[in-house]
Amino acid sequence: MSVNINADTTNGLVLTSDTSGELKLQSAGADIATVNSSGITMAAGKVISNSGISSYTDSDALTLFNASGSAPVYACRAWASWDINQTILGSGNVSSITDNGVGRYTVNMTTAMPDVNYSITALGGDDSTSQIGIYTGNNTHTPLYTTSSFRIATSNYSGSFQDKDYNHIAVFR
Amino acid sequence: MDQRIIYKNDDDTISIIIPADCGLTIEEIAAKDVPTGKEYWIVDKSEIPTDRTFRDAWTWQ
Repeated sequence: MSVNINADTTNGLVLTSDTSGELKLQSAGADIATVNSSGITMAAGKVISNSGISSYTDSDALTLFNASGSAPVYACRAWASWDINQTILGSGNVSSITDNGVGRYTVNMTTAMPDVNYSITALGGDDSTSQIGIYTGNNTHTPLYTTSSFRIATSNYSGSFQDKDYNHIAVFR
Repeated sequence: MDQRIIYKNDDDTISIIIPADCGLTIEEIAAKDVPTGKEYWIVDKSEIPTDRTFRDAWTWQ
């Protein structure tokens, strides 16, 4: 049994009720969908129209991202921000940051990129000196790029490894 | 997380993995992010020195 909401072709809206906790949407007495504590299940042969979804175009994505012009938009696939105390301040699709020594890190991604041809943008900054750290690749211990991790380093202006007060990375693909 | 994962590198330096809030457990992160074949140790964050002056000389016994 169930609570039924029926769009009847003779009587219009027809409601029947019980205490089953299950709701059925009906058209002309035929089940269309069932709603219960597990979710929504479509009746056999019935579908949710996806015309609204399939009608999205590239221009809709541009509008969504407030992008002008017609150049395509490529979203950030991973990002992280951490400080000199080795505390991760925020991240997305990053499982961990490996501290390999002064100014040397491995960024480990939760879900891997499709290949190693992704692009990294990174920035480090110091509170005390207003210097901006320059990030370079560093492959002392592990490969520089894999689909699931990459190594970066922070240095001072003389090129020596140096911890930065703040570190930021973003991955695009 | 208030835990860290430590493993030794081939040159006897150590790497310290800082877990992100990614929905994985510390054990799952260790299994995924510690280089294959490396032994590792899960420790409390408080066991890691905060003075990094000699960070590159740190060892793990």
